[in-house]
Amino acid sequence: MAGLELLSDQGYRLDGRKATELRKVQARMGVFAQADGSAYLEQGNTKALAVVYGPHEIRGSRSRALHDRAVINCQYSMATFSTAERKRRPHGDRKSTEMSLHLKQTFEAAVLTELYPRSQIDIYVKILQSDGGNYSVCVNAATLAVIDAGIPMRDYVCACTVGFVDETSLADLCYAEESGGVSSLALALLPRGGQIALVQMDARLHQDHLDTLIEAAMTACKGVSKVLDQVVRQHLQEASTLQE
Amino acid sequence: MIKTEKTLHLRRFRGRKVRVVREHYLREQVPCFSSLCQADCANGIKVLPGDLTHYVVPDADVVVNYLEILELRELQGIIFTQTACQALHSKGRRYYNRLRNLVKDPRYHCVQFANEFQQYSYCPREKGESQEKWQTRCVYSAAVWYYNHLAGMMNVVMITEDEEAVAQYSSLHSGVYVISVQDYLQNFWPDLQAAQELYTSISQALEEKEAEDSQREFPEHLPAEVMEAGIKSGRYIQGTLSVNKHRALNEALVLTEGSCSQSMDLSSGVLVHGGKNRNRAVHGDVVVVELLPKSEWKGRVTALTEGQGDDRSADDGQENPMPTGRVVGVLQRNWRDYVVTFPSRDATQSQSRNCQRVLTIPWDRRIPKIRISTQQADTLQDHRVVVRLDSWESTSLYPNGHSVKVLGRAGELETEVQTILVENCIHVPAFSEAQMKEMPLSSPERPWRVDPAEAAKRRDLRDSHLVFSIDPVGCEDVDDTLSVRSLADGTLLELGVHIADVTHFVAEGSLTDLEARTRATTYYLADRRYDMLPAVLSADLCSLLGGVDRYAMSVLWELDAESLAVRRVWYGRTVIRSSYQLHYELAQALLNGEEVRVPELEQFCPEEKDLKLAQLIQALEMLTRVARHLRLQRDRGGALELEGVEVRAQLDKDKNITALVPRQPLEVHETVAECMIYANHWVARKIQESFPNRALLRRHPPPRQELFNQLVDTAKVMGFSIDTRTNKALADSLDRAADPQDPMVNRLLRMMATRAMSQALYFSTGSQPQDQFYHYGLALDRYTHFTSPIRRYADIVVHRLLTAALELEQGAEPAGILATNRELEELAQHINNKNWTAQRAQSASTGLFQCLFFRDRDPQTDLRCLADAIVYSIRDNGVLVFVSEYGIKGPVYLKNKEGQVVSAEPDGSCKWQSGKVRRYPSYITTTSGGCTSTFRLMSHITVRISVHSSNCHSDALVLEVVSNQPHRGSEPQRPASQGHRQLVQEVVRLAESAQQQAAHAPKLSREERDFLQSKTPNLYSILEEIRELALMDPEAVPRLTDPVKTGQ
Repeated sequence: MAGLELLSDQGYRLDGRKATELRKVQARMGVFAQADGSAYLEQGNTKALAVVYGPHEIRGSRSRALHDRAVINCQYSMATFSTAERKRRPHGDRKSTEMSLHLKQTFEAAVLTELYPRSQIDIYVKILQSDGGNYSVCVNAATLAVIDAGIPMRDYVCACTVGFVDETSLADLCYAEESGGVSSLALALLPRGGQIALVQMDARLHQDHLDTLIEAAMTACKGVSKVLDQVVRQHLQEASTLQE
Repeated sequence: MIKTEKTLHLRRFRGRKVRVVREHYLREQVPCFSSLCQADCANGIKVLPGDLTHYVVPDADVVVNYLEILELRELQGIIFTQTACQALHSKGRRYYNRLRNLVKDPRYHCVQFANEFQQYSYCPREKGESQEKWQTRCVYSAAVWYYNHLAGMMNVVMITEDEEAVAQYSSLHSGVYVISVQDYLQNFWPDLQAAQELYTSISQALEEKEAEDSQREFPEHLPAEVMEAGIKSGRYIQGTLSVNKHRALNEALVLTEGSCSQSMDLSSGVLVHGGKNRNRAVHGDVVVVELLPKSEWKGRVTALTEGQGDDRSADDGQENPMPTGRVVGVLQRNWRDYVVTFPSRDATQSQSRNCQRVLTIPWDRRIPKIRISTQQADTLQDHRVVVRLDSWESTSLYPNGHSVKVLGRAGELETEVQTILVENCIHVPAFSEAQMKEMPLSSPERPWRVDPAEAAKRRDLRDSHLVFSIDPVGCEDVDDTLSVRSLADGTLLELGVHIADVTHFVAEGSLTDLEARTRATTYYLADRRYDMLPAVLSADLCSLLGGVDRYAMSVLWELDAESLAVRRVWYGRTVIRSSYQLHYELAQALLNGEEVRVPELEQFCPEEKDLKLAQLIQALEMLTRVARHLRLQRDRGGALELEGVEVRAQLDKDKNITALVPRQPLEVHETVAECMIYANHWVARKIQESFPNRALLRRHPPPRQELFNQLVDTAKVMGFSIDTRTNKALADSLDRAADPQDPMVNRLLRMMATRAMSQALYFSTGSQPQDQFYHYGLALDRYTHFTSPIRRYADIVVHRLLTAALELEQGAEPAGILATNRELEELAQHINNKNWTAQRAQSASTGLFQCLFFRDRDPQTDLRCLADAIVYSIRDNGVLVFVSEYGIKGPVYLKNKEGQVVSAEPDGSCKWQSGKVRRYPSYITTTSGGCTSTFRLMSHITVRISVHSSNCHSDALVLEVVSNQPHRGSEPQRPASQGHRQLVQEVVRLAESAQQQAAHAPKLSREERDFLQSKTPNLYSILEEIRELALMDPEAVPRLTDPVKTGQ
């Protein structure tokens, strides 16, 4: 698919969005009763399910326990039906392992782990359908799940990918854009304080453009955080009316 | 944050069928770009006017097939739908880019409408609906949307080639008409003959394509994915096909880009031998080749060949095989407009069975014959016609094309000049009314005046500085002036260069600016000139004439009076009044202390006159001193003396210039040139520092050492050694390599050195590492063009950059948005290309005039056809010579096709006899009947010049050896300049009288043929131009490997 025009002269992207517009985000919290916390999140055509167990005692070897804070254990996987061609290996490959590690780092920065010494929090994320921005969708879904589990966090962690084309930054890339030769950057943000939990980028980009790109990513993340906030508030409302 | 409805979009990829789901966001607010809009759309600057009778919405296949018609400027109010644009995109990137430029260009009244993102005009594709049907439906729904959106105030016409659609939709909605292209053109544009002709010619070509017989002549091209994969794996090689001009049928080279990762050395390119292997690729295409096994490799032919097409397989030089391959696919067609000649009647008769199809012969020998379907074959006999290629199927021996425009009968001066323009892709229409409206008014009765408000913003140098210009005699467009004065009791010197402030009059993005950007440079042909800017600017408002106030961009240096070190530099906009408009001879005479009359001083009384004269002379002397110092500085850095002798050699090729430049260069020339180089250099520094990655500079990469081989070898034969390691070493060794008996030797050596040079080019600083900025020829680390904004677009860009840099310095945000690195790099590429085409056109027109000059002379009797020539290269069956009198370079054959050789009698006269030719490194001998004659390198011989005329191609000069002695009959050193001026004059006069004799001949406008109107602005610019000509010999690149000069 060489030569796709990622940004038209009139400022439209392939799917009709403008450069700064996000994909449509829809989410639900508390989808499973058995788990401590769970959430389902759609960002455009990328769909993810996040489940949280814990905090609970360390399972497996005790030696992993930390005396002053909780251990966060993340696992990322993709459903075999999530891509256009059936995936052979749903988890455990190199990419998934890396992604798990990134998730772990992100949430270690966000969750108040010091409240739960010698315990463990498990976050499992599964991509049901993949259409670009897998990492950010996972982070967003997992945030909701952690909130659903009632684990205290410093702030929402919101993530978004941004790309750089024709001297403009595109927010929230879809798969066609990601594979179309855009240098993309993923950023996880604690929006209220503006702290960055994680930045990841493995493409070439001129140093001069990095600041604008990060700026664009932070704006996009704040946009995501608004949507997540709405979802949480709505969920709370529903939950409280049920209890009454 | 707008969240819009989302619908699903099903697509299938090529190759492996994969179902892909894509999101598709729709919105209500999509700009309509119409001035009638009632809904406050976010329309930009470019909108469709409201006073048209209708808007036209072309269907997708109309855009794909008939884009050329829609490109006519007369058609207005065209709405290109996104659907149609995407259809064009899938046809090819190039077409799509053409459309994009069309939409961007404010001179065309057309817009693009994103109909697929508009909530109400989008229609999803239904199950089982064919792509074409869906596209038509989308376009129709867009047309309806427009009609409704503009509240019925504008009728909308949809044009389509689909008859079913016409029937289905035409009565569906009042106010939205659906008709076919033909009906549309006939009903709405009955006067636009060009569009209708174009339509018939394209539709015929399309029909032909469908009715093609299926016998296969060429193997099919590989699919794109296979080629891409092959290139990545190293199995195939990608490159640009370049056909050998002299053996167009057989030899073509594929020049690879960048280095090949393979072990083989492919730097000299891959040979593609024969038409079958070339597989429908045309000169200039980007192709993919596969290497043949080593056993099938072939060498290139190094012998001189006469004419083309004589397929002498005998000398298929097997001795020196090089990588040979065959074309497996074409990545990108780089087809342009071609000029072809229709064959005359007897030639067409052979195809009388199908008289609609005519095989026409392109003017450019590298292009294969083109098959054209036309009903005008009879009327177009022997005419030159512009055609475009449509396709080349594997079932056809020749490509299909359609005619676009008739230029005229072959052989006529006007036709030939137009041919040169078209072949070099030069398009110079007269300036339109809208463009002229942007120009300020100035007439002899009410001359333009400086605006006091504007003058207050500028630094006023009118009274404080003695400003003067030095130009050739009679120059009208003065774009640079100089000033020099001493400051602070003589401890400081202030040197000033003041350049016409063109950007003040030409706003960025204005129509004039766009036109200038498209032209990029003023085109100088042998007998005419096409200006970059309208005459009101170039000859009046921007011309820094004496005695009137003008706006200028100035650079002022404060120099230490003793050491001449720079203390301070000031850049800025100024108002100046030039006090003296000197010319070179006058300035030099003043410097030499001769008694001369300065016209500006005539009115003063004697005492005042003396005082003023003394001031002027003092200024000139100061200037000369500074310039000497600057020159010395650059010489130490290794600046190449490529002007001097070299300039004149190149000068001879260009008559305009020759007519102006005196044979002995004066020191004052160099003084002015040096000041300009200095100004360019400092401006380059300034903009590069202000905009480290978006400044337009000019660099001259060092030459590749292997290109010097010919020079070094030739010099060795002559007993000189040439050191080419650095520019300084080269300059020094060239200075040493002079033969006191024959000044031509040094001149020719310098010519060869020039050919080895790479081309100087413009670039954007963001696209090159800083160590690549170096200007080899001038020995400067940064260089740009600043001093001739009237005739070069690059200078205009640099002026804007400098203005922006100054604004930035004052803390203000630059007014206009600066071009980004990428845009600037594209622009630089464009300007480079235009410069090269301008040079090619210039030399082609020079060649044309040479041929016209000799065409009407009998070579046997006319003495002027005999000339002295010097041998500068030895080939297998002949020598290459340079005729200095006419500036002609060409081959002289010592062996003809019958195997006869030239043998010299004792008195030097030569005859054809049967014999043998032997080639040695420094000489070539012919042996016939026991007597041997030798032609040495750098020896003088006498040649006869005649014209080999050709109906379809350009005429060519043929040189024949008459005697191996120097030409004696020539009057001693007739000034070449005059010779050339006469040549042009005479040819034009002849052409004119021929025109008058032919009563029905169209009357040509006087201005167009006013051949001596080309007044080059000043000598510095001439020198610059020459330097460029010298650095960029258009034939230099193929010459590296192509031993044959001309053989047409």
